[in-house]
Formats: sequence, structure tokens, C-alpha cells
Amino acid sequence: MPYPLKRLLAFPLVMFGVSVFVFIAIRLVPGDAITAMLGTESGLLTPAQREALTAYFGLDQNIFVQFWRWLSGVVQGDFGISTTYGQPVLRVIFDHFSLTLELAVLSMLLSLVIGLPAGIYAATHKDRPGDLAVRVVAMLGQSTPGFVVGLLLIFSLSVFFGVLPQMGSFVPFWQDPLGNLSQMILPALTLGTAFAAAVIRVSRSAMLDILSEDYVRTARSKGLSRRRVIWRHALPNALIPLVTLSGVEFGYLLGGAVLVEQIFALPGLGRVVLDAIQQRDYALVQGTILFIAFNFMVVNLLVDLAYAALDPRIRFETK
Amino acid sequence: MKHFSKPLTAMGLALALSAGALSPAMAETLKVAWSQDATGLDPHKQTAFSSIRFLELMYEPLVRLDADAAIAPALATDWAFNDEATELTLHLQADATFHDGTPVTSADVKATFERILDEETGASARANYTSITEIVTPDDKTVVFKLDGPNVPFLTALATLNAAIVPASAIEAGTLGTEVVGSGPFKFESWTPNSGAKLVANDGWAGGEVAIDGLDISVLPDETAILAALRSGQVDFALINDPFVATLIPQTPGLKLEKAPVLSYHVLQLNAERDAMTELKVRQAISCALDRQDILDTALLGEGAVTGPMTMAAYGNEVSDLFCYEQDLDKARALMSEAGFADGFSAEIMAATGEPPTAASEAQVIQSQLAEIGIDLKIQLLELNVYVDRWLAGDFDMAVALNGGKPDPFTMYNRYWMKEATFQKVAHYIDDDLDRLMTEGRVTTDPEARKEIFAELENKLVEASPWVWLYTGFSYAAAQEDVNGFVATPTGSLFALSDVTIDR
Amino acid sequence: MSLFRDLLRHPSGRIGLIIVLVFLLAAIAGKAGLSPFDPLAQDRLARLQAPSASHLFGTDMFGRDVLSRLMVGVAQSFIVSFFSVAVATLAGTVLGLTAAWYGGLWDGIVMRLMDVLLAFPAILLALLIIAIMGPSGWTSILAIAIVYTPIFTRVVRGPALSLKRRDFVDAARSFGSSRRYIMSRHLALNLVAPLTVQITLALAWALITEAGLSFLGLGTQPPQASLGLMLADARNLMEMAPWLLLVPAVALSFAVLGFNLLGDALRDLLDPKTRRALA
Repeated sequence: MPYPLKRLLAFPLVMFGVSVFVFIAIRLVPGDAITAMLGTESGLLTPAQREALTAYFGLDQNIFVQFWRWLSGVVQGDFGISTTYGQPVLRVIFDHFSLTLELAVLSMLLSLVIGLPAGIYAATHKDRPGDLAVRVVAMLGQSTPGFVVGLLLIFSLSVFFGVLPQMGSFVPFWQDPLGNLSQMILPALTLGTAFAAAVIRVSRSAMLDILSEDYVRTARSKGLSRRRVIWRHALPNALIPLVTLSGVEFGYLLGGAVLVEQIFALPGLGRVVLDAIQQRDYALVQGTILFIAFNFMVVNLLVDLAYAALDPRIRFETK
Repeated sequence: MKHFSKPLTAMGLALALSAGALSPAMAETLKVAWSQDATGLDPHKQTAFSSIRFLELMYEPLVRLDADAAIAPALATDWAFNDEATELTLHLQADATFHDGTPVTSADVKATFERILDEETGASARANYTSITEIVTPDDKTVVFKLDGPNVPFLTALATLNAAIVPASAIEAGTLGTEVVGSGPFKFESWTPNSGAKLVANDGWAGGEVAIDGLDISVLPDETAILAALRSGQVDFALINDPFVATLIPQTPGLKLEKAPVLSYHVLQLNAERDAMTELKVRQAISCALDRQDILDTALLGEGAVTGPMTMAAYGNEVSDLFCYEQDLDKARALMSEAGFADGFSAEIMAATGEPPTAASEAQVIQSQLAEIGIDLKIQLLELNVYVDRWLAGDFDMAVALNGGKPDPFTMYNRYWMKEATFQKVAHYIDDDLDRLMTEGRVTTDPEARKEIFAELENKLVEASPWVWLYTGFSYAAAQEDVNGFVATPTGSLFALSDVTIDR
Repeated sequence: MSLFRDLLRHPSGRIGLIIVLVFLLAAIAGKAGLSPFDPLAQDRLARLQAPSASHLFGTDMFGRDVLSRLMVGVAQSFIVSFFSVAVATLAGTVLGLTAAWYGGLWDGIVMRLMDVLLAFPAILLALLIIAIMGPSGWTSILAIAIVYTPIFTRVVRGPALSLKRRDFVDAARSFGSSRRYIMSRHLALNLVAPLTVQITLALAWALITEAGLSFLGLGTQPPQASLGLMLADARNLMEMAPWLLLVPAVALSFAVLGFNLLGDALRDLLDPKTRRALA
């Protein structure tokens, strides 16, 4: 069986596994939605009130019934109602997903714009001071956790420029593109640092590999200019590992960057999940995590296909 | 040509700046930020303070508390008890209307309290009104509450959003959870949970004129983000809980800070029914060993005031007169040996992660201070819901807590220090004196006599040391310098936003 | 020992090794009580002091010595990372080997299970596990181990599968070696290279994850110190006491850097392709 087809068949199975896992996990977390909503005041509830609330949150049903109802809803595109938002889970997800998507795209673009030229530069100046500098920066970027980058960015802005990043009420891109970008630039940089470092390293080593291949040498010896060899022959081939890297990274980013969204107070998907866990908003936790897992798997599948299309030498069975 | 470049860049810069600078000047809408969003819209069911202060902008109770925590008119213009304090008569504002234009009548008041008293509703403050035996409405603008006995705190108990008057029609339609039709200074426009809300000024408000066009509220869960937004001018007015953030505001040119001591109190709850702490002398030793000011200085950067059980200005004693409010390690050690614990003991102290933000610091300073008298504390930081469940079950040795306060000492403490109290198993301690004093405080109408009763209650509580009261924090409101007219109150109410002007 | 010598000759391997050793020494010294101050001792007269001769990295809001806390904090972060990677390696190796060896249904079950774990965003998976079990150092170890087990399973299963198909396994079998012997001897030997590289890199990730969890208040619990916890405490005091932020931030980056450099060097040295090129 061809590998992509195999992956496609496993897809529903894995999604089912994720559903079961998240459904059980969130219910194993001690404390329920009633405590989360009322705090210590929940101790003042009369038995009748408690019963009414338990029924309202759907906690009075048999767990298998709950799961079956939820799952059959999901299959029909109904993810249930979020108890904290009072809205359908899917709507809450889509309301916040646009931000996460924008953040992911923006940080990918930033990383590629910074990382690719730096990587090519380093490869074509191998072992010279420029190469060394790029590699050191890349290594440091890869070694600094995103949330530390964020903290340091905020810190340096406030100490050296006396300003803090614009984190007022969040404006969506279509309302005020400039205002939106000024809010997103720091979080995107923060998220992009590690990825940019990876782009540098991958593009550098791919470039080096290809520059040493016979056909490139042949092209050079035939009198083709160095620039032409790099841009027309080497670069397209160096892009293949980058596609894989970007795809996998994009899949992760779509899951929402919990810590970065927290630090920069961005209402993205990561924060929705965090709040939902805290509030014991079961339907919302289940919905968002399933959604994130779905994205992750779709992106990975696409990456595999793109990889196969770009490089016919790939034999999937060995993977 | 070279010398042209400078003015040109300057002009470009000016243009770029003006694009940003113009927009706030045109809007009269106050841009507000806070870190915790409301959790729902039904005024009678809300318990979270974040919901109450939000809905208070749109709904009105019969009476409210002013900046000194005294009773002030709201929907009712005047009121009186009968001599036995068993009947309370209130008169409603003649021109008060709901946001949909219909007048506020005594029938709405009656329907409101019937809804609150109905167990099916699940109203959070229901217990405060169960003494109502009958609600009489002699005319459209007069309401009489008949009570099952003398009950002076009843009037104070009306001064809460949880007793806000709602239209009888909204109760019938069952729309209270999804729509807001109140009678307050602001009208509801939109609300996106955990993101923000928009309110517009109510031109027809009977309580006066609102100077601003409305409120544009953003929820920014991180208070350093709020600070940033204030500094960049994206927010005009913000509520701050975190004293660390608050102390940075006066240092920023163009920003000002209002603060008021709050009624809620930081406390070390002891479990007087467990192990060594069943001994009075051990509990007293703990109280003597703690340096309250030092905990306050470390955990809250000194942003607060050491307090006894009575956090409201109108009641209680001088703090310095309370038992062992000055740290005395020798006395503490002596008490420990008298109790037979000269070598100390081990116990666990629980605190909730991030609630209040100072909890972890408090636990660490307390741990370090009690180590001085041989008490070996193990800190347990628990997720809030886990903490709450254990707190409600009374399942702890010691607990760091931030407990809510009320303007009236009886309504504040009747859940803990009475024999039949709901939270007796959380309080873990009761004696005849406490129960007697609380009962007297409930029925006494003479204000001076009440003050004496609660001063005595405070002394008894501090001496018996079932808990160790520490301090109260401040509530902070930060604003741009041109935002005027806001007064911070001990209850943290935002009602004063109706008086605010933007003088740009 | 030749690998060690190779490492010392490899430029990034040398630097990585030095960094890791410095941190390891500091951590051991901290654990052995050799820090300049008691990392838990509060001093109310010395709160929020800037770095000075007596307090090299200043003091925190409780008047505790930051350098001493950094030493035990690094130790704590290292312990959690080492143990979680050890557990993940062990679990991943067992799962990967058995999946490759037995194949069929067992392989399907294990690999789909790993797919499920991989499809979860790492930090959310750890967060849920900790929410269920309550935060502590041990819970962090378990949570991080579960997050990284799928990666090790995949790393082991791939080579194990291709090795299984090779003739020498069949040959060994025909000579009468037991199944167990074949698995432990031939397969494991050929897995050491990819595993060593993966372990080093996983240590770097684990340090980051541990710091992130502690930063959210879900890892190491106060008054104990860890790098993430120190960063979380520093957040509100960033402008008042910048050293509280910078010290743990730099320490964390360098610790991770050390393992990353080491991992890169090991990959260079152990990967047969580059090895041939070097020879």
C-alpha cells in the first residue's frame, strides 16, 4: 500500500484516539465546572441548586453516554456549547483561530525572510568569519526558549526605549492592518526566533551538500556564473528539506503558542485552551484539542505529499 | 539638495505620528482595560467580583454603598425601618426607567426578589433575603419588605448587584442570562467573553448625566500588558490588582493611580481541629511569631495595611491594640513550650497558584518566620479549583487565603463564626462568646451598641486565633492624567465611572 | 573513549562539553551545599539588592542569594531533564523495539498510540498530565517523559525495522541464538548512534519544557528554585531588578546551548555518512 494512503487510513483512527484521550484526561483533572465558576461560593449551594447546575453542565449523565453524545455530535460537525462563552465551541475556535493563524504565518514569513538569505550567505562563505557569526547566532537562537526571547524583548524595549510593546485591545488585521501588525510583530519575532535559527541551519547545510554535488561542479566548469549556479541549480534543491521543516513547524504553530500568547496577552487558540482547562469547560477543551490535532495531522500529511512530489527519490516505506 | 532631507523626514515623522495621535482625541469613549472578565450576565447569579463590577455599570440595586461604605441612594431615594426593625419601606426614584424605556416600578422590585428567593433560580445571595416574609407594593413607587424578625443588616444586604432590580418582563421572558436591560448609567452593546465589551452611556439615566459617550472594555489577562497599553495611550483607564504593576504607574509621566484599602483580607487560616493547633497557646504562638508588616512588605511591597478581622473603617479597634500584633518571638517560644511543643511540629500550608498573586510569596515568608519557633512548614501550591475544593471541605493544616469582605461585619462573618454557619467546617473553630456576639450584632439597631459588639468580637477572634488575620491590600485604578472624576472605593466598585470626564 | 577524544577535537563538541561540564559542576556544588549562601535562607534586610561583591548575582524579593539559587535551580532543572529523558528513552526503546520485532497488530497499536501523543501539542499534553496529578518535580518528569516517548519510539523503530530485515539477524537465528539474544545484541548495538544523538538533543528540549512548565507554576514548587520559576518571579520585578530576569535567562540559554552543541557534534561524529567524509 502506498504510504500516503496508509496515513490517510490511519487518520480517523488517530483522531478517535485523540478524542478518547482528551475526553478522559480533562475529566480526570480534579475539580469541576461548578467550582470553577462559583469558587468558594459553591459551598453555599443548596442540594437542589447543585443538582440543577450539575444537570446544566451535563455532569449527571453516564460517562459513556456523554462520550457517545459528544462524538456523534462531532461527526456531524457539532462540537457542543462552551459553558464559559455560552457559544458553540466551533464558533469560539474560529473566532480565535484567525489570530493563531496570522501569528503562525507571520512568524514563518519572518523566519524564512531572515533565515534563508543568512543560510545561503553562510554556505557560500563557508568557514569565513561571516559564516561563523551566522552559525553562532543561529545556535543561540535555537537554544533560547521562546518565552525567554519574549521576556527579553519586552525587557529591552522597556529599558532601552522606555516603551512597552503595544498590547492594548487587540485589533484584527482587517480592521486596522498597521495597528494589527504593530501588535503582532513582537510575538511573531519571539515565535520565529527558534524557527529562523532552524531555517539558517537547514538551508546552510542543504546548500553545502548541493554545492559539492557533481552536477553543480560540472555546471561551474562549463562556465556558468556562480550566481546563476546558486540561484538556478542549487537553491531549488536546497528548498526540499526546508519544505519539510516549514510544514512540521507550521503544524506546531497552529496549535497556538501557549506561552507566547500568555506573555503578549494575545487572545489566540493557545490561551483559549489554557482558560478552558482552568474553567473545566469540557466541551471547549475537547473541541480545541481535537481541532489542533486535526490541523497538525493534515499539515503533516500535506508535507509528506509535497515531499514526495518534490523529491521522487523518496521511498515512503523506509520511513 | 542635502539640507532638504531633514525637514522632509521631520514632516514624514509628523505625518506618521498624527495618524496615531488624532484618533483618541476624536473619541469620547473611555477605553478601559482589566485583567479578569465577567463570567456571565445574569446579575443574580454572579459571584465573581469581575462580573459584579461589570454588571454594576448597567444594573442598579435599591441602595448602594458610597466611597466611605455608607448607604447611599440608588433606585430608592429614601428608606426607613419601623421601630422594631422588622419592616423596611423604600421609595423608588420617580423618573427611573429601564434601558428599554419602561419605568421601574415596585412590581419589578417584587418580581426581582421573588426570583432571587426562588430556589430554582440559583441566586447567589439568596441566603441574605430569606428573612423576607412578604413584599408589599402599596403603589407603583413604594416597596415594603416585611421581615421575620429584627434585622438591621438587611438594608446593607440590599446594596449589592446580586439584588439588582431587573424588569419583570425580562424575568418572564427568561432573557437575563443573555441580554442586559438594566436601569444604570450604561447600556449594554456587546460582550465577547475573555476579550472585551462595549457599553454606551444611558442618556435617560435617572441618576444623573454621564459625561462620556461610553466604555470600550478590553480584557488583558496579563497586567504588565495593561501597563504597556496605558503607557502607549491605548487605554485610558484600567483596573490593577497586582501591586507590583501598580507601583510602576506613578513613576510613568502622564499616568495617575487611585487606590483605596479594600474590605477583603489576607489571612492565615489555621485548622484548630487538627494536631498541635487544637492548643490555644500554639495558635497564639503562631500569631505572635508572625511579623505581619514584614509579610506585607515582602509579598505586597508594603502596598496595604495590617488589619484585624474588622476591615471596614466603621468597626473594630486600633490595630496596635490587638493581641500580639507586634512580633514577639520570646513570647511565642514561651507559649509553645507551655503548650508542650517546645521542639515545634510539622504541618502543611496550602496556597492557590496565582490566586491571589501574592499567595506563593506569603506562604514562603510565613514558612521562614514560623521556622523561628520550630514549626516546620511544607508548602503546597494547588491549582485554584483543587484549592477551593479542599478549602470547602476544611481539608488543610494551614491555608493562605484572601477572603472577601463586606461593609457590615455581620454579613461578612456570619458564614464562619456562628454555630450553624455554612462554613463552620472551614472556620474549624467556634465558641459560645463568638456565637453570642454575632447574634447580638444581628438584632441590635443602635449603631453605637453595634460598634461595641463587633469591637469585642474582633478582640475575641484575635485572642482565640483560630485564624491569623494579616492585612488588606489596595484596589487600584490607573488612568491617563486627563481622565478625571473617578473615586476608588473599598468595595472596588466602578460605579464612579458614571462621573468620569475626559478633558483632552 | 575514542568518541570522547573525537568530541574534544570537534570544535562545537569541545565548547558544548565545556558548557555542560561547567553547569554540571555548578549544579553538583549547589546540591552539595557549596553555594555561597543557603539558597532558601531569607534575609529581610537584603531584599532586591543589585549584584555586588557579596551577592555576585544580587538578591531576590525575599533577600535570597540569586547565585546560590541559580546553582540549585540548575541542579533541579538538570535532574528533571535527565530523569524525564531517561524514562522516555527507556519507554521509547522498549516500545520501538517490540513494535519493530513483533510487527503486525502490536506494531499498529503502538505506532497509532504514538501518533495520538504526537498530534497533541507538547506543552498542552504536559499541562493536562500535570493538572491531573498535581504539580511537583516528579510529575514534571513523568509529563515530559510522556511527551518525548513517541519521538524515541520512532527513532528506535526505524533502524530496528531495517536491521531486522538484514541477513545477519537471520544468520544469527539459524545458528541457534535466541530471539532475546538477537534483539539485545545486534539491534541495540546498531541503535546506539541515533539514540545518543537523540538523547542529547532531547535533554536540550527537556530543559526548555521544564522551564516553561515551571514558568507557568506547574513544575518545581517554591521555595525550591528552578530556572523557570526564577524567570516567573522575575517577571513583575523586571524593571526594578533586571538581574532577576537576566541571570536565569542567560543561564537557561547557555545550558540548552551546551546540549545542542554536543548533540550536533555527536551527530557529525556518529553519522556514518559524515564519518566517511571525515575519514
